Amino acid sequence: MSRLRIQSIITQLEDIWYHSGRKLLRRANRSFIFLLMFSAWPMQAEEERVIDFSREILPLLSDACFQCHGPDPKARKADLRLDVEESAKKHSDGGSPVIKPGNPDQSELIRRLITEDPDDLMPPPELGRPLSESQIERLKLWIAQGAPWGKHWSLNPIHRPEPPAKGKHPIDAFVDHALEKNDLKAQPRAKRSTLIRRVALDLTGLPPTPQEVKEILQDTSDTWFEKAIDRYLSSPAYGERMAWNWLDAARYADSNGYQGDRERTMWPWRDWVVAAFNDNLPYDKFTTWQLAGDLLPNATHEQKLATGFCRNHMINGEGGRIPEENRVEYVMDMTETMGTVWLGATLTCARCHDHKYDPYTRKEYYQFFDFFNQTPVTGGGGDPQTAPVIATPSESQSKAIAQASAKVRKTRSHFEDLKTRHLPSLDDWAEKKLVELNEILKEENNSDKQTQKSIQSLQKALNTPSKDRSKEQKNQITNAFIESIPALAKARDALNQANNQLAQINRSVPKVMVMEERKERRETPMLERGLYNLKSDPVLAAVPASLPPLKGSKSPPNRLDLAQWLVRRDHPLTARVTVNRFWQQFFGLGLVKTPEDFGVQAEFPRHLELLDWLSAEFMESGWDVKHLVKTIMTSQTYQRSSATSPELIEADPENRLFARAPRFRLPSWMIRDQALAAAGLLDPSLGGPPVNGYQPDGVWEDATFGNKKYSQDHGKKLFRRSLYTFWRRIIAPTLFFDTASRQTCSVDAKRTNSPLHALTTLNDTTFVEAARGLASRAMKLAGQDQSKDIIDQIYLLTLTRPPMAEEKDIWSQSARRARNHFSKDKEALTKWLSHGESGVSSDLDPVELAAWTTVSLGILNMDETLNRE
Amino acid sequence: MNTTLPHQHFLESGLRINRRHFFGRNATGIGTAALASLLNREGLLGTDVPSTSKPGMPGLPNLPHHAAKAKRIIYLFQNGAPTHVDLFDYKPAIKPIHGTPVPESFLNGKRFSTMTGDPSGKLMLSPVEPFKRRGQSGAWVSELLPHTAKIADELCFVKSMHTDAVNHAPAISFFLSGAEIPGRPTLGAWMTYGLGVESDNLPGFVVMTSVSKGTTCGQIFYDFYWGSGFLPSRYQGVKFRGGGSPVLYVEDPAGMNAKLKRGLLDDIGKVNRLKYEQVQDPEIETRIAQYEMAYRMQTGVPELTDLSQEPDHVLDLYGPQVKEQGTFAYNCLMARRLIERGTRYVQVMHAGWDQHNSITTELYTQCKDTDQPSAGLIMDLKQRGLLDDTLVVWGGEFGRTPFIQGDINNRPKWGRDHHPYAFTLWMAGGGIKPGISYGASDELAMNAVENPVHVHDLQATLMHQLGIDHERLTYRFQGRYYRLTDVHGHIVQDILA
Repeated sequence: MSRLRIQSIITQLEDIWYHSGRKLLRRANRSFIFLLMFSAWPMQAEEERVIDFSREILPLLSDACFQCHGPDPKARKADLRLDVEESAKKHSDGGSPVIKPGNPDQSELIRRLITEDPDDLMPPPELGRPLSESQIERLKLWIAQGAPWGKHWSLNPIHRPEPPAKGKHPIDAFVDHALEKNDLKAQPRAKRSTLIRRVALDLTGLPPTPQEVKEILQDTSDTWFEKAIDRYLSSPAYGERMAWNWLDAARYADSNGYQGDRERTMWPWRDWVVAAFNDNLPYDKFTTWQLAGDLLPNATHEQKLATGFCRNHMINGEGGRIPEENRVEYVMDMTETMGTVWLGATLTCARCHDHKYDPYTRKEYYQFFDFFNQTPVTGGGGDPQTAPVIATPSESQSKAIAQASAKVRKTRSHFEDLKTRHLPSLDDWAEKKLVELNEILKEENNSDKQTQKSIQSLQKALNTPSKDRSKEQKNQITNAFIESIPALAKARDALNQANNQLAQINRSVPKVMVMEERKERRETPMLERGLYNLKSDPVLAAVPASLPPLKGSKSPPNRLDLAQWLVRRDHPLTARVTVNRFWQQFFGLGLVKTPEDFGVQAEFPRHLELLDWLSAEFMESGWDVKHLVKTIMTSQTYQRSSATSPELIEADPENRLFARAPRFRLPSWMIRDQALAAAGLLDPSLGGPPVNGYQPDGVWEDATFGNKKYSQDHGKKLFRRSLYTFWRRIIAPTLFFDTASRQTCSVDAKRTNSPLHALTTLNDTTFVEAARGLASRAMKLAGQDQSKDIIDQIYLLTLTRPPMAEEKDIWSQSARRARNHFSKDKEALTKWLSHGESGVSSDLDPVELAAWTTVSLGILNMDETLNRE
Repeated sequence: MNTTLPHQHFLESGLRINRRHFFGRNATGIGTAALASLLNREGLLGTDVPSTSKPGMPGLPNLPHHAAKAKRIIYLFQNGAPTHVDLFDYKPAIKPIHGTPVPESFLNGKRFSTMTGDPSGKLMLSPVEPFKRRGQSGAWVSELLPHTAKIADELCFVKSMHTDAVNHAPAISFFLSGAEIPGRPTLGAWMTYGLGVESDNLPGFVVMTSVSKGTTCGQIFYDFYWGSGFLPSRYQGVKFRGGGSPVLYVEDPAGMNAKLKRGLLDDIGKVNRLKYEQVQDPEIETRIAQYEMAYRMQTGVPELTDLSQEPDHVLDLYGPQVKEQGTFAYNCLMARRLIERGTRYVQVMHAGWDQHNSITTELYTQCKDTDQPSAGLIMDLKQRGLLDDTLVVWGGEFGRTPFIQGDINNRPKWGRDHHPYAFTLWMAGGGIKPGISYGASDELAMNAVENPVHVHDLQATLMHQLGIDHERLTYRFQGRYYRLTDVHGHIVQDILA
């Protein structure tokens, strides 16, 4: 067993004894740790302790018992529920109560846990998940203390707790209090340069520019950091950074997924998200618009567009799929996405059966489902613009549409006028024409079949008395009449052309799939095993019994009622779940480690009071996201140094107590943006259709049997922010790693450390080209400013700090080695400078540039560069 | 209050668990492994047990659960669903009723894809080529597969496979991840998570794909077929590409060479070590190690794909396409080379078996492209002594209908639709009995009736051969323990050697 693993075990063991044993353990010699824990542990402490039901008992019962004695009636054994107080405290068949408050020895529950009889022992040995003695002791103690019941913590209303210390930032008050209790010392504040880079990356996903760094460093006031936060909160790049995580949650992509994987145009919705964050749209509105903007009174274009959120699900165009099966799958996806994003609920389980741990029944699943089941969306065809859609023309497209429409109106009125003038002569013409046709048919037998057929048909129409003519025949005659008058025919052609032009522009306008209610309610049956064709009892939209009831809404309620319910002040989940995701964004890990699951199986949060305080603050500020972000960032907790020590790592490996700031690898998309920005290559323009950057040849082709050809963009498009990269759902952009699949909702942060990542950032065109850009930029800057050399400049552009002497030595030698290599090998030199399409500055010495490009590539691959510190 | 001291609780609970889990087994090595396993069971270790701070990838401390018969798996996955009716599952009763409606008694209440819709009244379709008994074992194999026929005595045919899914993507996902909906870890991910990775310069879980030329109904290879689901992403399969460099970005950018790269990596390493001294973040050590691994892969992958040392008599085993990158034959050879170099799980996927209207045409191409390479791989493994502890699996996601899809009078367009109720799969090596046929479908190859083997049973069996108890290799996610076989799966004891 490795030393680290032992440490990890010890830490986990310590967790168990977390409440008061910490100081003792920390001071103990590690080699005697077990001895200490299990012999020197004072029993006194255990007796004095008041057991917290939600924190210590419910998770235990849930883990060990709920599978057979929980909410799911189908899996329930012996008709016993341990998730409901009444049932748990009733008398069992044999007579003694399952739980007898105050008396563990007479509680059947305890007897079953300790019996020697394998038939009686619980949990059944074959489950392989026995309770530990300490867990059993805890249950005994709880029963002895009267077995007080309670609700799962995340379902309790959110009250604003009093911070444990006054005169401090409330976050620090909570965090410091816990640190003191655990005898941990907080790290000091991070260096200014580190903080500037941290706040810039956290809020914009881009490194600070040298100019920004200079300005911020010049600010000597006490509020310099607050001003820096404000600076980045008001940058348009803020919305782009915040949008990324929301796109992951919303499973946004630029194609359908599945076979065919047809391209869709949901990107105006993506641009709306960026704008919503930049405009600081309050989160309650952000929620309501995306779930039910279409149902708001006098809904605006924007509010309808926002509902694209619901329609970002995959669309299956596989031949042979049953449309209704697809449609049901889409509605389930909408339902479960809502569950994950707002409720932190793992609703998927309840497709088939009542949730085994959390208070969501199968019926309640389909009640949620019913809210989303009222759209006219069909499941057939795989159209990436399946109705209902909303057209979102750009400004220039709007102008072009107006122009083309005017032209249509003009040409139409000209044509109609002309037609009206000529129509009186129609009957005369018809008589003559009939004679003419009869002649033709008599004479010409050698014309082709098609012509003959159409002549015959017109003849027949003309022969029919006008009152008996079908609509088709009337049209036929009118058309032939128009054709016979050149001016009229010309006017008609002009109208057709104008119409075509308008249609062509309209076709190029992106259409975003949105929500809409159909006229007649669709009945929602519960589905056996979640299968579309195994229908059972119908249900109506409603919310789960364990959550606050819907107030005063009509029956049945609709999506708007659901959305407004989610953002009510007394809703226990939305604010907690949301605040936790933002915390995760800035601390690498949420206050609750499982952002997708706030149920009984989730860990009990170490910092529940902090979570609740932030949640209350968030709601009471009017769901002000920028305020929440600023509140977090102005705390000392956020501003600490991320340096750590073996002791700190041992005491708190995952940094759940925040004695230090987190240090974690940047998301891969941000690593690219950072490189482009440092190199001065980034095109900062906002929004628009997605772009195709550099990608090795044949990746799409290989994945789609050549059906999808990758066509790389050129020019500025190669340097757009990662957010705008075309996301093909079945084969994501190869440059990005550890990203959400964008197939279903994803809210967790993936962070692995694989050699494949190193291959990407060392060898991909983007990074080699950015290294050259960075080198060029640094060489030019160094030429202008004698006080800083090239290495200084590269460091400043990338890491916001000057290099240490040792680092300078290393990179100087590195440059020398590269210079030596490239001065001897001209062919390699030419190749090395030819990556990407941004070109090479002619005023720089090629060998020098090649050498510094090599160094820059190394610096872009430094651990510090890849990390947010 | 109980008067027992806490350390006694600890010991007792430890003993109880030891007794429970080690009694009756070869109880050597109870020590750290047992302690780790014990602590894990107690929930005292996090779910992310393997240490991230070491190069390479160790497995879980309590694995293998028992002695393994197979050290590695090569899964020759036949996407699109090969027709069991025409290839392996010989049913003389079909021929006499060729062209007549399916007897109703075989159909009641079954779900078919929309292409079939209601199967009533569909006409029975006789196998297109004759069958013969093969080898000592007398297994039935169609003339369509002459090379497979030759190695029949090495194979264990499971003729009673059945599955839950009727469409390709969900059915393939079900086979490889145990769930129809994408997002669960696949077999290879579970394997590398549980058993770790041996290779120093190649990934532990590799995927290669191919499709026969001229296939009109190819199925897409979705990356969730080799995904790691909620397991950390370092366990996901590395897909080798069918053309050019098999691993993305494994080649140095033009102008860079190995010497310069070596120097650059040394410099990055030096700077990173300085950083480590300052901030003591163990992830930095991992990063240094992974950059080294990346460098080794840059040599390991080209060496892997360099076939110059393969003698002709070996290459010939795999058939004429063996040197053509992106073909099934090439991938089979590469699979052998990978496992020789320490890769634990190779998933070779070949698409194009979806014969909705091409039983008399494209089926022949499919067989030609896959038959010899599959058989060649088995022979090659055998002659190298690798077959003993390498388990090879050959099969698709479901079977095909014994009745026709299309017009019985239009032979060139004969087809068969998806059929999940009975189909055939074969295995070889890795402690599976050779030369047997296990289970059976009814007399029309319609339903698995004798010793039915469900997908979860197959999964349980594969894991068992690897020394993994499928009920005990679990991962906690979203509040519950997940495993490959969900809550199902029985080991097919009768086919174990």
